[in-house]
Amino acid sequence: MIRRLSLTARLTIMFGLVSSTVLLGLGSVIASSLQRHFADQDRDLLGGKVMLVHHMVERISTEESLAELANDLRDAFIGHPDLAVLALAPDGRVLYGSNGVRFPAERLSRPQSLSRLDAFEWADGPRKFRGLAVAIKTRIADAPPAVVAVAVDIAHHTQFMKAFRRTLSAFVVGAALISALLGWLAVCRGLAPVRAMKARASAVTASRLDQRLPVESVPIEFADLAYTLNEMLARLEDAFQRLSDFSSDIAHELRTPISNLMTQTQVELSRARDPASYRELLASNGEEFERLARMISDMLFLAKAEHGLTLPSIERIAIEREVEALFDFYDALAEERGVEFQLSGTGELQGDRPMLRRALSNLLSNALRYATAGSCVRVSISTESSVVRVVVENQGPTIDPAHIPHLFDRFYRADKARSHEKTDGTGLGLAITKAIVIAHGGSVAVSSMGRMTSFYLVLPANR
Amino acid sequence: MKMLIVEDESKTGEYLRKGLNEAGYNTDLARDGTDGLHLALTTNYDLIILDVMLPGLDGWQILKSVRHSGQSTPVLFLTARDAVEDRVKGLELGADDYLVKPFAFAELLARVRTLLRRGRNGTEPTTLSVADLELDLLRRRVMRAGKRIDLTAKEFALLELLMRREGEVLPRTLIASQVWDMNFDSDTNVIEVAVRRLRGKIDDSFDTKLIQTVRGMGYVLEAPDPE
Repeated sequence: MIRRLSLTARLTIMFGLVSSTVLLGLGSVIASSLQRHFADQDRDLLGGKVMLVHHMVERISTEESLAELANDLRDAFIGHPDLAVLALAPDGRVLYGSNGVRFPAERLSRPQSLSRLDAFEWADGPRKFRGLAVAIKTRIADAPPAVVAVAVDIAHHTQFMKAFRRTLSAFVVGAALISALLGWLAVCRGLAPVRAMKARASAVTASRLDQRLPVESVPIEFADLAYTLNEMLARLEDAFQRLSDFSSDIAHELRTPISNLMTQTQVELSRARDPASYRELLASNGEEFERLARMISDMLFLAKAEHGLTLPSIERIAIEREVEALFDFYDALAEERGVEFQLSGTGELQGDRPMLRRALSNLLSNALRYATAGSCVRVSISTESSVVRVVVENQGPTIDPAHIPHLFDRFYRADKARSHEKTDGTGLGLAITKAIVIAHGGSVAVSSMGRMTSFYLVLPANR
Repeated sequence: MKMLIVEDESKTGEYLRKGLNEAGYNTDLARDGTDGLHLALTTNYDLIILDVMLPGLDGWQILKSVRHSGQSTPVLFLTARDAVEDRVKGLELGADDYLVKPFAFAELLARVRTLLRRGRNGTEPTTLSVADLELDLLRRRVMRAGKRIDLTAKEFALLELLMRREGEVLPRTLIASQVWDMNFDSDTNVIEVAVRRLRGKIDDSFDTKLIQTVRGMGYVLEAPDPE
């Protein structure tokens, strides 16, 4: 299992690791090029000296002058305490040896030629050397070449490199610590918006769902997240609001009829009355109960609709036929109110017949309720590409524009004084119409001006 | 006519029994599923009214067992949950009708009578008559006291329904559903108006009024008791 380190710790460790790796790499590149530079420097120096000795040895033609070489070499290398020279006569005698440095024997037995000089390193006791061994031909006839070895003490290089490495590692450790610290600070600062979001999110409770995460003040990476979370909050708030509205609506709408029932029952029971009064009371109670029962079933229907209504059975429906059937149903009522029905156009769509009937019925009964006597309730149906439009119009009092956006809300009554009139229904008719139309994938709208009120339904012809 | 009510809610059960007894039916009441099933299997009933949610055995199990035993007694089930699946399940298991609580008692009575009538065979009458009102179903003619009365198609259908169910109180929802095929509660007084207009043609010019309003319940067509 991966240990659950905090993001800050992870990033801090990562910063430290990255900076120390980079610095270590850089340091080792510098160290190795320094070392190479020293080696080149030494080889050039040694090469020069070898050339000098070579020049001296080359001229030797007799055994005497060979003996002279020691003096020449001593003169040539005076004042170079860091340099060591060893000259071996062709017969192996040591002609000259400076500083008492011991050269490695195997190197002396395999001297190099002038054309390919390759420095070698060795340690003599505590001292370290870099040197060259060269075979040089003398002019003495038939004699094997003399061997000359030149070396330079490289202790100071080693010392320098050691000091350099020490400094470098100290620097790397320090830099890693500092960058980890800086990284930690940067992460803390960078994550500040997350803490701010957290603080804001913890303020969100059921009663304070209106809290939103800051979007403008956070970095772009978080803005997206904050935006998405805000959308989620908005959806939750909406659903929550509807739920609490639903409960308070029910409570409010039930209060009036139940209070009526209680009062009239208690008043009637407060003294003995004749059977006719009791019958009257019970009948009146019965009517009120029926209204309550209807309200409850309408509320349940709406509650189901708001959780996504599935249409029980889908069939092909000719809208004009349904409207005609409804005209037939409301015929007596319309005639009594002196209102005429008019139907124009046709349209076919796929949907649930009883539900669509119910939706249209609510619009028609609404239109009838508010239609002026002697006017006409008009239903026009039209089909455009893939949608069927149904418009239900009536002449009557213009609806105040302030009420228009709420007409499809549950229990919304434009005229508050008229609520609870016997014929006024439950105040859920238009809400139910809207729910049914939405379940069919359509939309509702309403307009009211110049004493003409129109309800528009747009329904997709195919599902 | 003997019927069984299986209902665990004591108030509902008592009132159903009282109402049905007063409507002239002989009823047994079982308060849980086990008793209900025992009675259903041992007694010969004309109708069973079954609540779905019951302690012990639920309504579905009783229905299944009753049908399994080969009885074809009509079953009307009562449910508090208006879920499509519930209705479908009940009808699939062999129930004959259902009612969603809360329901109007008149509605229950009307359904009960329909179910009881369904079992009886008989030749369909071609004329209906109540007191001096006559309805000729074939010629679609209405006569009262020998006088011809003109009715619209829907008025004729409404009168036919009232006459076929002579003496039964028909709730508004049942009338809307049977005459206009509107299976929802309209929040208007449309049925009231339609009945009033029918009355205008049938009753107004006669001394004996046949169509009565039963407040809080619905409408009934019957010859008034001679007093």
